[in-house]
This record gives sequence, C-alpha cells and structure tokens, in this order.
Amino acid sequence: MDDKFDCIIVGGGIAGLSAALTLAKANMRFLLIERGEFSGAKNVSGGVLWGNDLNRLVPNYWEEEDAGFERFIKHRRLTFADHESSFSLDFKSAHYEKPPYAGLVVLRSKFDNWLAGKVEEAIAASDFPEESFIATNILVEEVIKENGKVVGIRAGEEQFFADCVIIAEGVNNLLTRQIGLQDDYVPADYMATGIKEVIRFDQKVLEDRFQLKELGGMSNEFVGASITNGIEGGGFLYTNRDSVSIGLVLSIKDMREKLKKSGKSIYDVLNDFKKHPVVAEMIEGGEIVEYSAHVVSMGDMRVMPKEIYADGVMLTGEAANLLMNSGKAIQGMDYAMHSGILAAETVVEAKKAGDFSANTMKNYRAKLENSYVLKDLKNLQGAVHLLHDKTLMNDVPNLVCDFAKQFFTIKNEPTEPTRKLLSRSINKHSSYMDLLKIGLKGAKAL
Amino acid sequence: MKLLTISERLGMVNYRNQGKSQATPHIKVNTDICNSTCQHKCTTMVCPANCYTLDEMNKVHFQFEDCIECGTCMFACDQGAVKWSYPDPENGRGVNWNFG
Repeated sequence: MDDKFDCIIVGGGIAGLSAALTLAKANMRFLLIERGEFSGAKNVSGGVLWGNDLNRLVPNYWEEEDAGFERFIKHRRLTFADHESSFSLDFKSAHYEKPPYAGLVVLRSKFDNWLAGKVEEAIAASDFPEESFIATNILVEEVIKENGKVVGIRAGEEQFFADCVIIAEGVNNLLTRQIGLQDDYVPADYMATGIKEVIRFDQKVLEDRFQLKELGGMSNEFVGASITNGIEGGGFLYTNRDSVSIGLVLSIKDMREKLKKSGKSIYDVLNDFKKHPVVAEMIEGGEIVEYSAHVVSMGDMRVMPKEIYADGVMLTGEAANLLMNSGKAIQGMDYAMHSGILAAETVVEAKKAGDFSANTMKNYRAKLENSYVLKDLKNLQGAVHLLHDKTLMNDVPNLVCDFAKQFFTIKNEPTEPTRKLLSRSINKHSSYMDLLKIGLKGAKAL
Repeated sequence: MKLLTISERLGMVNYRNQGKSQATPHIKVNTDICNSTCQHKCTTMVCPANCYTLDEMNKVHFQFEDCIECGTCMFACDQGAVKWSYPDPENGRGVNWNFG
C-alpha cells in the first residue's frame, strides 16, 4: 500500500461524509478524520435537510426501516407574531408524502451516525476495502503544506499525507484560517448563534397536537420582535418522531449591542420565546431532554472565505460559510451535502489528470458556481439582506397581527371598511413609505 | 411548561471526560483585556453555557468546563481576548450530543 491517501477529509459531519461516500463509490483511497467519538457527536442543527441530494448519495433511503431521519416535511408554517398573537402562512400538502421527500427533519447525533454507516458500507464494497478509513476521536491540529501545496495533516504527534485535503470542519473553521483562506479573526457581523432545546412528548400526544400522520412532520419558523426580544433573527420549531426541536437563531453582533440594555442573557431570550402565549401552548407538557447551541452563518456572502480552494485543498459546507436563509427556508445541510459531493468529484478528476494543484481544484469552484448552491447564494443575496431589515423583522409582524385582530374579531357593531382597518394598522406600526420601500426591495430581491 | 435555569439546562449536557479531575482548557481568555479596555463585556451575555460571568465588582471570569463548543465567543469578542480551539478528545472537556 502506498503510504499516501488520495484524499484526507477533515470532519465527519454532513459535508465530510458526503464527500467520503462519493469517494468510496469512485474507488478512491481516503481517510476521514472526525474529532467526536462518532459522527454527529459534535453537531447541532435546527434542523431540516432540504431537497433530495440524499437520494443521490443513498438511493431510495426511505425504503430502509429507520433511515436516520426523524420525519419528512409535509406541513410548513411561517408565523408572524406580536406579543400575544400569531399570524401564519400555512401550507400542508399530501404531495409531500411521495418520496423523494422535499425535506427531512433530522437530529444530527443520529443522522450523521447513520450516514457514516453508509460510508462504511461503501468502503467495504469498494476496490480498497482495507485502505480507506473513518477515524474518530482524533483532532486535526494542523494542515501540512510543502512548497505552498497542502499535502497532509497533523494530529498530535501523527502525520498523515494525501494528494489533497477536503476541509469539512464546520463553521468554527480554524484550519481554514490557518491556511490563510480566511482571516484569523472573523467578525460577528454575519454570524448568528442557534440555541435550542429538544423537548420530548409521548409520541401519540405529539402526533395529535401537530396532526402528524405516520412519518409526516411540520416545520414552523417564527418572525417578530416579541419572538427574539427585538434581536435580529427568528425562531423555529420542528417535529421529530417523539420530540420537537425548538429554538432561536440570533445575530451575534445584534446581541452584543442589545442584550446589555435588556439585562438578559441569550438563554433568557430562549425562555422568553418559550413563554410566548402562542409558543407555550405548542410545547405544553413536554420534557426537555437536551439543551444545545452552535454558531451558524447567516447567508451573507460577505463573510465567505477569500477562496474555497487552493493547491491541494478544498473547503466544503460551513467551513466555507455555505448557508442560505432567504426567508423560504434555512438551507445549510443540503449545501454541505452538495459541496461535499462536488469536492469529491473534483478529487476523482484530479486523480485522473494526475494534478492536484489549484489548476484542478478550481474546477470545484466552477462546479459549485454551476450548482444551486452558489447560484442561489448569489441570486438571493437581496432577500438575505431584506430579512435583516428592521421594518420586516419588527414592524410587519406587529402590523399583520394588529390588522388580523381587528379583521377577525366580530363585535356586533357596524363593520369598518377593511382598507380603513388596514390603514390604521399600517400607521400604528409602520408607514406606507416604509412598506413601499421594503416592497420595492422585495420585488428586486425576488 | 416549566422553564429551566441555565444550570438545570447544562446539567442535561453529556460532557466528555467528566471522570478526569484535571481537563486541559481548550479556550484561553485574557480577562485582563475584558476587565480593562473592553466596553461591552458581551461574552457574559452571549455565551449559551454561562462560561463567562461577572462578579459583584463587574469583573469578568471565565471557566471552560461548561463549554458546549458552540463558537459564539470566538466571533463575539472583538477585543482579541479569546483564544479559541477545540478540546482534546483525550484530555479536554467538550460535549457528546445525544440529539444534536
């Protein structure tokens, strides 16, 4: 056996495992190094894996009895809230029941572990069952370069070498910074903290409460100043098999500026969200089984590394800040999966060409540019910025709730014309001018 | 439903190497910076694991034992006081998520 791998993958999350699965199927010899005790042990997400890239990696995964996911998305809800009410866009459809599913609610500790099992199976079925490995419980401390090209990694006293390295280390991307693709200090401007609880219910209670049938599930996002204590961000609630994942995503920069005034800590803000009358009723009677948090990028391309490849190296998933929140969905795990697949395909090409320099690695960027990942990220930047607009985040939820309170309340009095009600709500919480401005921004963004 | 305090919440976290009396810190904080030039001391509010606390003299103290490796302080501190790294699997602390 050659003492060098075709590729070393740093990180056994979704990006790294997707790269590994693709490499194994292409009969490449690789080493995947995960610092946790198992894949998923260190990962936190909301979270929904959107789209059906998983079907590409694990064809007909849904036929398996327990395919690592909690529920598929059948019911979507976007809720605007003021301090006492909620106004929702609610979409449920039986068409979502047909696989491949449009989205999967996952718990990472279970899902990533399942996906790692698929990689082990693919290694066993490949031409090099004894020469590719997943190694856990090992922390990669350094990326080794020779003559400017990445040639391997160091973990403690051990060094491992390969023709190239795929960095899939996640958003806390120390190695990405070490090799100079991102600055040593990444400011908080476009970064958020996701904070959540997993709350368990009797499965029957959960299914009755959220009208869930079989493995159908619901995703609910929340917008409004009374959801986040006026901090830029939003809330989420996703249904698992017998629990819900509930939490907030909060801008770190905005927390730095606003928390002091309120005298609250981030975990107090989560408790306030859970106390919101509309939210409290959704989670009543459950038992908290885990509290967790993780940094997440906010989908602003300005935070991305200077480049996502260099001689002998590629960046995937959140290590490259590949995340999108356009208002339609928060997409991160699908971006991780897709970028992992594309990076691995580039390794296969590089092996064929016998060239692992930036000259071949740049094909990875080209592939990503041609995929939904960078196309959407680029095209929807306007929507990303719009989502951080104060009018949309704070005023619109108050406005629609105020209007709905009047519109949906029957008083046995002569009814005022609807436009008058609307006009009053607009002037109370915002102005025609502000709405016109975000309307124009919105039209441009979409 | 019942709302939990931060210590009740952290009590649910499955930390690694709990049996070891001395774990190696993976984050180093120069609290001299926090307690001299820093105006916001924001880590004491943004850290989800309450690793950064203020005493009655308004001084910042840091402990790594409760850290859940989220990364928030690495981005939040714009004063250069936080030196962040991952915990060593053998000798460090850090988490093992049961759900994630």
